Amino acid sequence: MNQTLKDEILMREMLDDDGPLGMDSAPDDAAVDAALRAVRSKLARTLGRARRPLARIGVIDSPVGRLLVAESARGPLAVQFLDVPEAPDALAALREGFDLVEDADVGARIGREIERYLSGDMHALDRPVDLSLVRTDFQRRALMRLRRAVPPGSVITYQALAAAVGAPSGQRAIGNTMATNPVPLYVPCHRVIRSDGTIGNYGGGVARKIKLLRAEGFSVARDHRLPAGSVMGHLVTHIFCRPQCHAAMRADRAKSIIFANSGRARSAGLRACKLCHPA
Amino acid sequence: MEATAKKLALPPPFEEALSRHEREIMRFLLRMTRDQNDALDLFQETWLRAYRAYPQLDSEQGLRPWLYRIATNLCRNRARDNMRRARVISNGDDPTGDDYHLASASVAGGGRHEGVIHLRRAIAGLPHKQGQALVMRKFAGLEYEEIGAALECSADSARASVYQALKKLKAAR
Repeated sequence: MNQTLKDEILMREMLDDDGPLGMDSAPDDAAVDAALRAVRSKLARTLGRARRPLARIGVIDSPVGRLLVAESARGPLAVQFLDVPEAPDALAALREGFDLVEDADVGARIGREIERYLSGDMHALDRPVDLSLVRTDFQRRALMRLRRAVPPGSVITYQALAAAVGAPSGQRAIGNTMATNPVPLYVPCHRVIRSDGTIGNYGGGVARKIKLLRAEGFSVARDHRLPAGSVMGHLVTHIFCRPQCHAAMRADRAKSIIFANSGRARSAGLRACKLCHPA
Repeated sequence: MEATAKKLALPPPFEEALSRHEREIMRFLLRMTRDQNDALDLFQETWLRAYRAYPQLDSEQGLRPWLYRIATNLCRNRARDNMRRARVISNGDDPTGDDYHLASASVAGGGRHEGVIHLRRAIAGLPHKQGQALVMRKFAGLEYEEIGAALECSADSARASVYQALKKLKAAR
């Protein structure tokens, strides 16, 4: 049958009604199969060049509420509080940068680590994280610095952290960095507080921030102030003092970490001030 | 992906979208182009575009019409390129303006066979939305809701477009 005739038949079938063309005018299954076989490996190669890395995700119920968690080959990639409307939305950024696949094991593992942490194992969240979702180098540096320099049982002010990463007037930038931290808990943005000693904000809600700090040994008071017995540790001299110590007052507050008590400061490798003799 | 996807309203993993819809997309492209080489090329391009744009896809429901929209647009662009190339090669005069008409508004691909031109011309002469809707209904067998989703209009509007297209084709015979 010549092409013009085939065309005419096709045209008549098209105009017959508004329904789809029947299966006789379609390529048969064998033709479709053959075409698919012919193209599969080429397509795999083409897609392979364009592929995003893989992220395994899950939704878990944890002691800090319902969480969306994601992990790449490098480590935890995102922890998002799902029950707090003001929590930053990691999902869009995750989808842009990664291919997502559900993995119950990932959720279970992260859930266990969080539980162990809140039960007192302060090293349960120590494994390496993937900071791909962090937008700028500055933010990445600030989060890494925080993770390294501010152990459980201590807190730092926005101001001091800004100074520590070389952005002395960068309080707002630090505030922003904490607010957009894609991996809370693993990167402890809950340990960053205001210079006036009040707790400040938290993506997962202030109540959670308090809960986490308390689990770490900071018995935060009702007015959101720090407990008595807190000591100031200096990042440069590695000496810790009572807050009222003259040396501490003179020293640059911007370069201090606040520890829940002397014991924590000692564990972090600091020594007691010889002037004020903290307990 | 079921439990998490439902909680988060995510589309399925890309691999799943591919294996679910590769057959019907291939069938659609073979019907549209009537040329295996063109179909294979467009098949790869369709899925590559789909992969790149996958993060923007909102939901599982929108996946099928979204894929057809990508495939249909690629067919249209390919047909336009083919027509242009054919005009350049033939280097002839075009007093009727038919070639220009085809190049600027064609919907289906291929065009290598003489006999195909008649049908292609007829479809190519249709306004853009009517041509797209007709092709999706006839060649892909999409439901009107799906055509609406692909063309971002209502199902009724899609149905009306198809009827208008058929009416015009009948009148032109």
